[in-house]
Amino acid sequence: METKREATMNVVPYVIGILILLIIPLFLSTYWVGLMIRFLIFALFAMSYNIVFGYTGLLSLGHAAFFGTGGYVIALLHLHYNVSLFWISAPFGVLVAAFIAALFGLIALRVSGIYFLLVTFALGEMLYSLAWNVKWLNSRGMQGITGIPLPDLAIPGLTIDRTWYYYLVLVLFIISFVLLNRFVRSPLGVGLVGIREDESRMKAVGYNTWLYKYIAFVISGAFAGIAGVLFSYYNYFVSPKHLGIATSFLPMVMAIMGGLGTFLGPVIGALVLVFVENLASIVSPQRWPLILGGLFVVTIIFARQGIGVYLWDLFTKVRQHFAGAKSREIV
Amino acid sequence: MRWFIINMLNGVSYGMVLFLIASGMSIVLGAMGITNLAHGAIYMVGAYVGWTIAVKWGATFGLGLLVGGFFAGLVGLVIERGLLRHLYKQPNEQVLLTFGFVYILSNLCLWVWGGYSRAPFTAGFLDSSLEMFDFAYPKARLGIILIGLLLGAGLWWLQDKTRLGAIVRAGMDDKETTMALGINLERAFAILFFISSFIAGATGVIGAQLTGVDTELGMSVLLLGLIVIIVGGVGSIQGALLGGILIGVLDAFGRAVFPQFAMFIMYVTMIVVLIFRPTGLLGRKI
Amino acid sequence: MQALKVERLSKQFGGVSAVNRVSFSVEVGERLAIIGPNGAGKTTLFNLINGQLSCTEGRIYFYGQDVTSLPTHSRAHLGQARAFQIISLWQKLTVLDNAMLTLHGTKPHRFRMLRPTKDFKEIFNQAVETLRTLDLWEKRDEPVKNLAYGEKRRLEIGLSLAMQPKLLLLDEPSAGLSKEEGSDVIALIKNLKSDITVLMVDHDMDMIFEVADRIIVLHYGQIISDGTPEMIQRDQRVREIYMGIER
Repeated sequence: METKREATMNVVPYVIGILILLIIPLFLSTYWVGLMIRFLIFALFAMSYNIVFGYTGLLSLGHAAFFGTGGYVIALLHLHYNVSLFWISAPFGVLVAAFIAALFGLIALRVSGIYFLLVTFALGEMLYSLAWNVKWLNSRGMQGITGIPLPDLAIPGLTIDRTWYYYLVLVLFIISFVLLNRFVRSPLGVGLVGIREDESRMKAVGYNTWLYKYIAFVISGAFAGIAGVLFSYYNYFVSPKHLGIATSFLPMVMAIMGGLGTFLGPVIGALVLVFVENLASIVSPQRWPLILGGLFVVTIIFARQGIGVYLWDLFTKVRQHFAGAKSREIV
Repeated sequence: MRWFIINMLNGVSYGMVLFLIASGMSIVLGAMGITNLAHGAIYMVGAYVGWTIAVKWGATFGLGLLVGGFFAGLVGLVIERGLLRHLYKQPNEQVLLTFGFVYILSNLCLWVWGGYSRAPFTAGFLDSSLEMFDFAYPKARLGIILIGLLLGAGLWWLQDKTRLGAIVRAGMDDKETTMALGINLERAFAILFFISSFIAGATGVIGAQLTGVDTELGMSVLLLGLIVIIVGGVGSIQGALLGGILIGVLDAFGRAVFPQFAMFIMYVTMIVVLIFRPTGLLGRKI
Repeated sequence: MQALKVERLSKQFGGVSAVNRVSFSVEVGERLAIIGPNGAGKTTLFNLINGQLSCTEGRIYFYGQDVTSLPTHSRAHLGQARAFQIISLWQKLTVLDNAMLTLHGTKPHRFRMLRPTKDFKEIFNQAVETLRTLDLWEKRDEPVKNLAYGEKRRLEIGLSLAMQPKLLLLDEPSAGLSKEEGSDVIALIKNLKSDITVLMVDHDMDMIFEVADRIIVLHYGQIISDGTPEMIQRDQRVREIYMGIER
């Protein structure tokens, strides 16, 4: 079992991380704060995908459907009903995203393996097609919905600006992070790993594996919905693209680059993605998809465990070194 | 009556292109267990190369077809030999890898050929219409139907009748034993992947008549191929044919009757099949 | 009430009948061994009883309840536990994780989503207890794939027992084990309480004759003989089938 010293040492990086995230806006320009918002949103998106793919082992190719749905709900509430109150729009957005996941899960989980892949892909593209063609889902005269303002929190005396929005996103990110962390360590969460590793045995010892996969799928979709909700405010507009494969690809890349099936992997993957993307936009914006594709391919071939795992191993070695050094002093 | 025949021919010709796309994917999927998501991107590469040869440089359509197919085949070969074969027995990683190539290839095409789409093109001698009954119908589309049937027959023959097909099926079943029998499985896989990609590229040139040539083809063609496979069933030429023709015909009549919702016909068909026969109309029951 | 009753159970694969109209029943507490040459249908029979396969024909009654169309996980809740021919454990997970995951399977709070598994003290203690009994507590943090074959088998059977089953299905428990490890398995079966029914498949005749109350002989999917070990030993047909497979 863990010693008190080890348990404390485990919390340290998180505390440092939160402190850094809290202080950062004070030192950075709005541009960089915007990047940080993007990072947190994408990290959440990637973490949600990690549940269904990393932990449960289900390769879904349509995860953006839930992300985009969250965003579209916010956009539509504003466009057609003039609702900007965060406390109404956001929960509604997440609920609708979870509902879509519940619906899609019923269809997709009828099959497994490559069929599951095909089905999730096609369902996502179906939503993309809907968003493209149905007039009610678009601002007048364009593809997608624009003009989404930052959310109204109805806190007297507080006008939301980019920096305050960053803190809102950070708070929601931390809450989601904690919830997801508890989830993966809970009996149901551990059960998902059991399913990934040997579904047949899981059934033999009493687990209703379909139900577990379904729950994982819906929860995964719900958290993607949270990310989508936060994204629409940040991005000012949503487009059909945010429902389709181009966006579904992103959490896959992040989760794999960072370390699939590890908890922090997606966060690290998101960090890498957002900052390489930013770099590419300065140096060579038209080549970004090529860089992304190349980075992805290289990670799969050479660093299958993900950059995140490599860094974690490094951190563990450093920690052991310091813990060991201390005990040598005592002796 | 005329309306019916015209739309039927439209549907079948489009369906043939869909069939060719799906069958290329199916060969590799059924025989090697690899879901090649880059298939649409390879189609696109073939289309661009074919366009360059047949339109930009003014050579014959046939040459464009062959070179486009060949070049596409090479691309596929590079992906398989260079990268995919290291991921044997890791289906998830293989799928992801091929997907990464959609981005790479799409962006490369954008880099080389630029962002504006090319007009549909076809062979010179097909660029007119045939007098049928009381109307004229584009020869190009009839040509597509013919090529589709020929290629389809060839593929079926390859799958069921040749030694290559049998080798690959055996290798899928038990790699060690097959190799122990002295059969060069690696080479068979490479040849098969080349053939699949060649078909993709050639279809790109043939299908350019209907789908045009642009950098979004990587994704859009992939989507079409996957829907046809979902509907028709995985791993068989027959399934690809049935799925392709069915979707093609539904699409043609859909466009004629409710133009704005033509796309949905495909999705609705897909969902209906998924609900009642999740593994496709001609797919194996799991 | 009988622990298990199967009636005219059949399973066909294409044209082949792997299991062909098999009928028998098992009393509570009975130790029934199923033997037969390779390919006789023994594992298929287990797959039908435990639910991995659905039968083409026939019915299965477990403690009087018709379970023929129940999925495997429901049968586990009713009291079936199984050790597989090819050892079934989560190879990449630790010994302790394997124990916890197995024990949670039949507990209601396996659906809990917010508290870490270690918080469920009752299961945790049961896992500790089980591992100590199996002499595997020392290796609790080892991934199962690092264990010796005999240890893995011990763990698998031990965990099946920890599920407190009513029916224990053992598929070739002694396969790959040394003489000593084999006798551990024999001792384990002998020490089982009399309300646990044991159905086992094996090729080790010595073990079977020591442990079984009754033997059923299967050949090409059909029951050739059904009786006490002594009866089976004297049965001419059985001798013919086993010519050359004596141990």
